[in-house]
Amino acid sequence: MLYRRILNEPALQLAKGEFGGRVGIWRLIELFDSHAIKATIFTPGRICELYPRALRQAVASDHELADHMWEHRVPREAALEADHLQKALAALTAIRGKPVSGTRSGHTNSLLKQSGILYKSDNSAGHLPHYIADKTGKNTLLNLPFHYAIDDAQFYTFGWLGSDGPAQRMSDPDRVLEMWWAAFLQQYNKGGYLNVCLHPYVSGRALRIEMLDQLIRRMKSLPGVWFSTCEETATWCVKHFPARRLTS
Amino acid sequence: MPWKTNYTISDEISLSDRGIVWPDHNRCCFNVVVDLSLASGPEGLLPSDLATADSVFAMGVGLAGLLDVLTSHEIVATFAVPAAMVKIYPEAIEAVLKQGHEVAAEGLFHEDVSPFSLEEERARMKAATSLLSEAIGSRPAGWYDLPRRRDKFAVGAISPYTTKLLVEEGYTYMGNCPADDAPHYSVTDFATAEAIVAMPYYYHFDDQFFMLYPRQGSGLENPDILFRNWRAEFAAQYKRGRFFSMTLHPGNVGWCNRLYLLDQFLDFVRSRPNVWNAVSRDCADYWTSKYPAATHLKLEPSVWKDYPGSLS
Repeated sequence: MLYRRILNEPALQLAKGEFGGRVGIWRLIELFDSHAIKATIFTPGRICELYPRALRQAVASDHELADHMWEHRVPREAALEADHLQKALAALTAIRGKPVSGTRSGHTNSLLKQSGILYKSDNSAGHLPHYIADKTGKNTLLNLPFHYAIDDAQFYTFGWLGSDGPAQRMSDPDRVLEMWWAAFLQQYNKGGYLNVCLHPYVSGRALRIEMLDQLIRRMKSLPGVWFSTCEETATWCVKHFPARRLTS
Repeated sequence: MPWKTNYTISDEISLSDRGIVWPDHNRCCFNVVVDLSLASGPEGLLPSDLATADSVFAMGVGLAGLLDVLTSHEIVATFAVPAAMVKIYPEAIEAVLKQGHEVAAEGLFHEDVSPFSLEEERARMKAATSLLSEAIGSRPAGWYDLPRRRDKFAVGAISPYTTKLLVEEGYTYMGNCPADDAPHYSVTDFATAEAIVAMPYYYHFDDQFFMLYPRQGSGLENPDILFRNWRAEFAAQYKRGRFFSMTLHPGNVGWCNRLYLLDQFLDFVRSRPNVWNAVSRDCADYWTSKYPAATHLKLEPSVWKDYPGSLS
């Protein structure tokens, strides 16, 4: 809803996002807790002021709070960018009770490194976690690949990323369940990695919570699936597969 | 800045599933909204919207077919009606009322009110209320502003004044708000905690986005997807003991195979015991008496600070 505000969208568009804070996030926490799964919640810093109780509940349930920008944008001016990141990390750290180690954002690697960030989860140059450096070939960070095909908003949100009327292809949970199950199986069979992106205002809807419950049950029916937070995955990868060729 | 003005319309946490009780030991509230507008864009109903074969179908065969299906399942619905429609289609309004459905307001012409001044919007709301009151025989209890096909957003357009004016004009409820999937309060004044009850709306349960949307030739004809969304949402909300609402347009859902799917869906709903089929007015009345804003709307003091370079 912060992003809707930045785009200066009308009241009911903001209310559409508000569903995520009032209802959706609580249901997702409840769903993950019922499966003893710890999730990573990439949170815009200002959400700490709008929905502090839901975030405190997430922390109490041992989910990971990570950065998703201060106001869902990365300012172009370097000083303001640093100011926004510092504000977001301070707000999240205060609620988490310990420092934040990851981000889903386009913040510059050098600034992230200086701020103690260990990993990004921002795009998908490969299936597996991989290292990315900035243009200077330095400031290496681990990236946990995120792909739009495994993003709920792609299938359910009207006007996603500014798409217009004729471009809408709104779908249903049965179809998305099969698509994501196929993505999971393909990676499972080769010992890979899958990062599922859910938005509380989208996947917090009752029909989709049911679908996620089914998806998790299917995944759990197979042996050897590690349901980890991004922080746990990143820590493990950095320890066992340190960046060798890229300079830090 | 008072509380979270311009960011949120309601309080921080929704009423939990366990906190919601429906009348007569019912488990779930089932609400049907029929949008009787023929407006295709933000300017509202235009003469050109009326002069099409599709409009003739919508208000003739489509509406008759929809009313028959609702009656055969003993379902009552809330019809959102642009006030001008009562002058253009008086017999249709009469047929709707005769079958026990609720008629609620949907603007004067189902126009986007956001460009208007407060005075202009107030005058239009008064005119709409007066036209509808005359046709219904009493004041309408609810006000809708559902999205139109050519709208930029799929949520409906209201102005910053709309909900405040609804309180001023004595409306009981605001018809469409996506901030919750149970009735909730839309705050009209954060300082005094004045609010109006809002009924949930979500475009995934609205036929227009799945039936030749946004116009013929788009190829976007997915009534099967809509049917699966209705079924999955109703089953999930029934399990939670919460609320379900769908939005129908006679010109869309009244057509052949689509009407057949609606019939099947209503069979599915009626196969479940303890479903309260309520028109929006009855549901809103129940909500305001059982969960009054005075005790159930929980607004916290503001923690928001203004910083240079950040949103205010």
